[in-house]
Amino acid sequence: MIKELKLPEIAENVDTATVLSLLVSEGDTVEEEQNVAEMESDKATFDLPSEIAGKIKEIKVSEGDDVKVGDVVMTIESDEKNKEDEGEKAEKEKEEEQEKKKEEEEEKEKEKKDEENKAEEEKEKKKEKEEKEGEEKKEEAAEEEREGSEVPASPSVRRLARELGVDIYKVEGTGPADRITSDDVKAFAKEAVQKSDQKGIAADDYELPDFSKWGEIEKKSMDSIRKRTAKNMQASWQSIPHVFQFDKADVTELENFRKKYGKEVEKEGSKLTVTAILLKITAKALQTFPRFNASLDLQNEEIIYKKYINIGVAVDTERGLLVPVIWDVDQKSITELSVELGEIAEAARNKKIKPDQLQGGNIAISNLGGIGGTNFTPIIYRPNVAIIGVSRTSTEPVYNGGEFKPRMMLPLSLSYDHRLIDGAEAAKFLRWLCEALENPLLTMFKGGK
Amino acid sequence: MTEKTEHTQVAIIGAGPGGYAAAFHANDLGLDVTLIDPKENPGGVCLYHGCIPTKALLHFASIKEEAFRAREWGLEFSNVTVDVRKVRKWKEKVVKQLTGGLGQLSKRRKIKYVQGTALFKDKNTLEIDEQDGGKKNLKFEKALIATGARANELPGVDFDHERIMSAKSALELKDAPSELLVVGAGYIGLEMSVIYKALGSHVTLVELTKDIMPGIDKDLKDTFKKERKDLLDNALFETKVKEVKKNKKKLKVKLENKDGKSSEREFDKMLIAIGEKPNSENIGLDKAGVETDDQGFIKVDIVRKTKVENIYAIGDVAGQPLLAHKASHEGRVAAEAMAGKKTAYEPKAIPGIVFTEPEIAWTGLTEAEAKEQGRKVEVAKFPWGASGKAVAMGRNQGLTKLIIDPENDRLLGAGFVGKEAGSLVPEATLAIEMATNAKDLALTIHPHPTLSETIMEAAEVYFGEPTHLYKPKKKR
Repeated sequence: MIKELKLPEIAENVDTATVLSLLVSEGDTVEEEQNVAEMESDKATFDLPSEIAGKIKEIKVSEGDDVKVGDVVMTIESDEKNKEDEGEKAEKEKEEEQEKKKEEEEEKEKEKKDEENKAEEEKEKKKEKEEKEGEEKKEEAAEEEREGSEVPASPSVRRLARELGVDIYKVEGTGPADRITSDDVKAFAKEAVQKSDQKGIAADDYELPDFSKWGEIEKKSMDSIRKRTAKNMQASWQSIPHVFQFDKADVTELENFRKKYGKEVEKEGSKLTVTAILLKITAKALQTFPRFNASLDLQNEEIIYKKYINIGVAVDTERGLLVPVIWDVDQKSITELSVELGEIAEAARNKKIKPDQLQGGNIAISNLGGIGGTNFTPIIYRPNVAIIGVSRTSTEPVYNGGEFKPRMMLPLSLSYDHRLIDGAEAAKFLRWLCEALENPLLTMFKGGK
Repeated sequence: MTEKTEHTQVAIIGAGPGGYAAAFHANDLGLDVTLIDPKENPGGVCLYHGCIPTKALLHFASIKEEAFRAREWGLEFSNVTVDVRKVRKWKEKVVKQLTGGLGQLSKRRKIKYVQGTALFKDKNTLEIDEQDGGKKNLKFEKALIATGARANELPGVDFDHERIMSAKSALELKDAPSELLVVGAGYIGLEMSVIYKALGSHVTLVELTKDIMPGIDKDLKDTFKKERKDLLDNALFETKVKEVKKNKKKLKVKLENKDGKSSEREFDKMLIAIGEKPNSENIGLDKAGVETDDQGFIKVDIVRKTKVENIYAIGDVAGQPLLAHKASHEGRVAAEAMAGKKTAYEPKAIPGIVFTEPEIAWTGLTEAEAKEQGRKVEVAKFPWGASGKAVAMGRNQGLTKLIIDPENDRLLGAGFVGKEAGSLVPEATLAIEMATNAKDLALTIHPHPTLSETIMEAAEVYFGEPTHLYKPKKKR
């Protein structure tokens, strides 16, 4: 019997995914849970497993297609029956024959129903398609109509609209007798840029020079991760007034601890990293400084405090920057966090991460210490209000009041949204983190502020 | 023999008003341009065999016409004579001066001007046959086709350019035949009739349709017809040319009217002006992959790009209307597009002028078009009989009409007929492009006494309150 493999729910707010590659072809036999396609949604790449075992009848999508949740990806001729034990089958032959007849009849009926369903579905699809085509035609007609209609704008204003990529027919005129002025076009373009914060990358009107004048070039289109990163970073940078705070933590003791207890974590198949420890300490810090765990709702003029502690961790992958989120950090042990951190980073690098694993973070940690650098200013991940940057630990002479001692110092930076967080509070927060790294016991009895 | 191969950023084929405007603008935008044309200098049909020589001769005709009319006002010239040889020389001087000037402009811009004809070999190569017999290949990054159009022939009647002439050969002005048959009463047919009439020919107009100037508003045509009875009284409408026989001295032309009755008449020469067809054959468009429509016009998009990414087309070869000023504007747009600028060909109004005496002119939407589209418009007319300037020139036969959108009072189109009617078109065109409404036109001070006041007063008519007419109308 033929079953349909549909695109399942991927994550909240994600209703389409793009087919990156098909891993099977028509006529192939697949097992249950075998991956049949590699998909990509907003930011994550994931495999689509087949929930049906059988022979692939028809593949309804091709690579590059956008598929909606619930759309049929392929039809599979299910081989449920072949699975049965043949020995048993011989014993039960008589019984079975009868049953088979019955079953066949049932199946026929079911198939009939299926077909009916399918026919209906197709009908509906056709209708949908027709409707869509109708709409498109309407749009086309609108376009044609526009050509004939008179837009109340002078040639120079129309040309300006072209240059700014503004559809002049959408601009409302504020000039005499509703004429569209150049200011109207500029205001419209500005608004569009602001709106595109949510929609796409705002292309400004800066004109690139022709680079090929100076040598060979190659043009490649941006992939979805790059587009998304560009869009998010631009939106964050443009909308959040960033301030940066720097500090250093003496992690000499912590490093000793890491050396000593690293093996415990290794037993679990992971590594005890600074990031894992920092996750735990940050969780505590967020409880102490709840504003850093909040979001700003300017539209309703509210501050949204979150009662859960989810922390994003920036992961550098071949395809770009991903920020998987570790949930309920406060409720997990450092060992658990180390293991989860290892797994989630691995998943991000191997395109196995699911879109919902990239959502719901309250603050993020970006650790570039593995690469180097003395400090940097990461951009806040909207709708977070802060991000912690970690650079490379180095041994420095530290004066302890009597003499200089070599100490291992970890440079930390904090980028925060000055609309919600004041400088003093930020300095305290970061100092708190440093002190907690130096003496974790402090987290047990010392509050913030 | 190995052919020379040269390289250019932009190759422009055809140096008419579209081609040279594109070439100059592309060069000004920093592109390296090669301009190819069979003539010695840029100019194309417009300057060599069209707009310019016609206007020179029409100027001559208009002076003669005016002088003739001046008798009524007490100015009489005796012994008016026409020296065709001298007229021809003067016309040639005008052409030489203007095309020479364009040659200078081209040189000063350091545009590579190649005198020859070009043929596409593929979408990046042209084969050029140079006028001096040389041959070379030209590799280009982008090409612009501006090869124009040429006169249609009458089926079965080939141009010999001696006695059976196109407008081009008629402008050579070999002589003034005593009996001239002009086939086609479109704007070229009318202009050529006026010229040859002024040179002294007896002109007979033959037109297939019912009226002159198909597509032009009837009231404009009626005024023209009243003014030029001398030209149109013997015109034959709904009549076709069935056959032309040449004997030693005369052309024997068989004409057939709409009832199927045929008659034979003798003429010294005939001029055929029955429309143009695009020069899109014989330039290897198929080799480049450029597509044409069923009338042979090259298909282009809003920046005048063809189906081929790096090839553009403008002017007559790229579609109606076949007018020099439309081609020049397209040429500049295409040049901007080739230079990577965001641009578009999106005029609201393209003016047209028939440079006869009197002139017929229009811009934007015509009343006839509005009717055809079923579009609701209001037409406001101001007859020139009420214009001080028109009466002072002794030319009170004229009309100014505005086509207005009653929804928002915006000017959509305008039509004019009368002496120097063409001079009123630019104001109306600018007004349409600027989305001007009737109130703006009525409130703008126009100099007195000029014909331009008729635009202002027509706008006043729209509101039912013109100064120089008593024409109460519903108040707005």
